[in-house]
Amino acid sequence: MEAALLDKLRAIVGPANVLTGVDLSPYVVEGRTPEAAVFPGSVEEARSVVEVAGAAGMPIVPWGGGTAASVGTPARRAGLVVGLARLARLIEHEPGDLTVTVEAGMTVAALQSALRARGQWLSLDPADPERATIGGVIAANASGPRRHLYGTARDLLIGVTVVTGEGAIVRGGGKVVKNVAGYDVPKLFAGSYGTLGILVEVTLKLRPAPDAERLVSVGFDRLKDAGAAARAVTASDLIPNALDLLDAEAGRALGLAAAPALVVGFDGLLEQVEWQCAELTRLTAPLGGHRIETLSPDTWSRLVTAARSAFDAPAALMKLAVLPAAVAETMEQGANAARQRGLGTAWSGHAGIGVLYAALASPPESPEPGPIATVLGEWRALARAGGGHAVLEAAPLAVKAHVPVWDDPGAAERIMQRIKAQLDPLNILNPGRFVAGI
Amino acid sequence: MATLTDSRKRELRRELETVVSPGAVLSDPDELLVYESDGLTLFRALADFVVFPTSAEQVAAIVKLANRESLPFVARGAGTGLSGGCLPAEGGIVISLMRMNRILEIDYDNLLAVVEPGLVNLHLSWAVGPRGYYYAPDPSSQQACTIGGNIANNSGGPHTLKYGVTVNHILGLEVVMPDGEIVWLGGKTRESQGYDLTGVFVGSEGTFGIATKAIVRILRKPQAVKTVLAVFERIEQASGAVSAIIARGLVPAAVEMIDHLTIQAVEDAFGCGYPRDAAAALLVELDGLTVGMEAQAERISEACRDNGAREVRTARDEAERQLLWKGRKSAFGAYGRISPAYMVMDGVIPRTKLPYVLGRVNEIVATHGLRVGNVFHAGDGNLHPNILYDPRTPGEEARVVAAGAEIMKLCAAVGGSISGEHGIGLEKTDFMPFIFSATDLTFMQRLKSAFNPTGRCNPGKVFPTRKSCGEAGPVAYRPHPIEEKGLAQRF
Ligand SMILES: Cc1cc2nc3c(=O)[nH]c(=O)nc-3n(C[C@H](O)[C@H](O)[C@H](O)COP(=O)(O)OP(=O)(O)OC[C@H]3O[C@@H](n4cnc5c(N)ncnc54)[C@H](O)[C@@H]3O)c2cc1C
Repeated sequence: MEAALLDKLRAIVGPANVLTGVDLSPYVVEGRTPEAAVFPGSVEEARSVVEVAGAAGMPIVPWGGGTAASVGTPARRAGLVVGLARLARLIEHEPGDLTVTVEAGMTVAALQSALRARGQWLSLDPADPERATIGGVIAANASGPRRHLYGTARDLLIGVTVVTGEGAIVRGGGKVVKNVAGYDVPKLFAGSYGTLGILVEVTLKLRPAPDAERLVSVGFDRLKDAGAAARAVTASDLIPNALDLLDAEAGRALGLAAAPALVVGFDGLLEQVEWQCAELTRLTAPLGGHRIETLSPDTWSRLVTAARSAFDAPAALMKLAVLPAAVAETMEQGANAARQRGLGTAWSGHAGIGVLYAALASPPESPEPGPIATVLGEWRALARAGGGHAVLEAAPLAVKAHVPVWDDPGAAERIMQRIKAQLDPLNILNPGRFVAGI
Repeated sequence: MATLTDSRKRELRRELETVVSPGAVLSDPDELLVYESDGLTLFRALADFVVFPTSAEQVAAIVKLANRESLPFVARGAGTGLSGGCLPAEGGIVISLMRMNRILEIDYDNLLAVVEPGLVNLHLSWAVGPRGYYYAPDPSSQQACTIGGNIANNSGGPHTLKYGVTVNHILGLEVVMPDGEIVWLGGKTRESQGYDLTGVFVGSEGTFGIATKAIVRILRKPQAVKTVLAVFERIEQASGAVSAIIARGLVPAAVEMIDHLTIQAVEDAFGCGYPRDAAAALLVELDGLTVGMEAQAERISEACRDNGAREVRTARDEAERQLLWKGRKSAFGAYGRISPAYMVMDGVIPRTKLPYVLGRVNEIVATHGLRVGNVFHAGDGNLHPNILYDPRTPGEEARVVAAGAEIMKLCAAVGGSISGEHGIGLEKTDFMPFIFSATDLTFMQRLKSAFNPTGRCNPGKVFPTRKSCGEAGPVAYRPHPIEEKGLAQRF
């Protein structure tokens, strides 16, 4: 990076908050080292940083906890990392309003513990909460098993403050739980992968912490039966907060007593949780459910990563969106496709939502991307055949060269490109990383 | 504004008729009159044409024709909107979706339905009801308003508190873009990739295009429902109880507040069983599992009693429950019996500010020499002060408008919003700067340009246009056509 630009950045945030050279190693993504990393300490500093970088034509990579840093199409130029670590304060929490306003760099775990102390929680449970920041979780639309009942970032985010690529501070939404004044700008930022602005402050809806919560798993001999059980739960009076399906490999990785398995969560009053657990047993037994076990609370946060944790170093991770009723079938077909090519695989997914996580094991000897790419292509075709899509969440660059990270968004592509062109006209925010070349 | 010569108009009418059918185009001033207003009768605007397409292809053809002629166009559902959103502010073509009202598919396994936009909200719940399902967003106008209108306004209802607003229930949309292209946003799967186009389209007040199909979520009806009525001597006690309920770890399905004036109007009209002398009542609904329902109702009752409720009772049976809800949902109609006219305000505040704000609202309205009735979604902090007035008294309507502006300022000042569900439309464009900076508004304008670059799709809405509010005041009140036809009671 040019010395002049570095000097300007140092003048904005202070020399201690600009990293260069070897200090950049935590920010290396897929072998690309950023040109510098800068950590603004206020919204105004963040604004100035973007303005200065924009004027120099320097691409900006907003950085929360870095947990999703490698998701996306590899960037052509590594650019300037703008880290949110110093923007990590809780700004306002009024329990009677069930809302919270926080700086985007606060970690999910830190926020949850502050909220829990006052009897509330943010009903969003992504993986790696100790590292993942609120802003990053929103930008990457990360979620966990409880989305079954409580939805994702789009359902909880009611207000944003962002720094745009032109260095403007823009607020969208507000601080109240119901609001239709103007366009729903927060929705635009959920899942935008830092391509439209840097989230610096967000306001979220909260929920009261439930009296009791329990996670149970029901084992099955066949995945198909577990799928049927999931559908039976969906059609019943039960109100689970999680409904995950795990194949034998993912179940084993999670340490379940029996797998394939249906892992179901319940919360509410203790009597409600207990009644529902009993009802679940009654409902699943005729479908082949057995070995019902209550799982330890730490299992919750490991559920989303169950498939990937089945392998030491999986060759690729794919996230598929399909219709809920097609989950078990898609898992079976996807696993078969991998095995036919001699590759190990593990699958887990949200059975009521229709979101699947698939991991592909590295081929034992050849590091050839060919078979991996073939399987991934077949997985994507499976998702598309059912009206869904698939995102390649992680893979070596050699594989990414063969399999596009993002799926084809169809005719909506043009609208997305126009949104990007309107809102980030300098094309400075994470350029080229996202869907449709955005 | 485009002005068409009579002969050009005749030609265009013929052309529109070939797109739809001869019976599906209106252009006589008498016929157009019915479409010059929505539920907010303050504003009126006459279209050149009202067209009734029956397919997305027809909508696309109309939109392309409008573009060719540089004519503005606007979608219209049932016209129950309360902010003038569906008015042809600059003339042009009103595209009514009322003949596109079919349910195309119901998929119980995947808990979704594919519907056309002109479908009346309640009709969807009726269709899936026999199998034990329903469509959750329940605006009080649900017997008349359409899913398309709900999508455009991101409508809510009493049960929004627990189940969310329209946007939380829309998975995908087929949209005729402002340039006439037919595009799918989102789809049947719960997740779609790229920007959340469905999410931003919902609530865009008809300025991003015309929805021609919607994929909506349907929910299983809860096992049990319990409705609690809490009666208070002072309105601040009722407000306090709202926050107390939330703070005690409960999210009821609905928490509605009804004030003294409204209770009297409702009792006069329908006799729903609200105590006439109460200062305020809370209608709290719980739903979910049968197990634990009693315990939760007890917690609610406690929170109300701790805040001074003089009486707390649960509806004994479905009949009593329906009667209590009838009182809530027919409140608007009941005002009609005690006042020649009323205007509904719609603002949102943080729940904890309820006691202060309700007091201030009453003061503001009194300062203008008017009366106000409050019936609203208290659990969400979504206020609906209804200012009663007589349009025949000179100057009274202007005072209503002035009081309304002050109430909006108040909502903004306490950290709230100028609309919780009725939208900005034509009504509140000049209030937008109360809560958004010029930069915020420019950002939204650019977002609009991404969808609607020419601005021909529903012009004049959402963004401030006039120099300052009050300059071009609304026209005088005249009864809305649906009132004249005696249809107003359907609300
Ligand atoms: C008595 C009464 C009670 C009400 N209660 C509530 C309530 O509890 N909650 C609430 O949220 N609202 C309420 N409303 C307001 C109103 O009913 C809602 O805004 C409703 O969603 C409007 O639907 P509609 O079909 O009448 O739309 P219209 O009034 O016809 O149009 C509203 C907006 O939607 C746009 N539009 C319509 N169809 C489409 C389409 N297919 N594609 C794109 N844009 C479209 C129009 O251009 C316009 O901007 C109430 C109104 C009345 C009169």
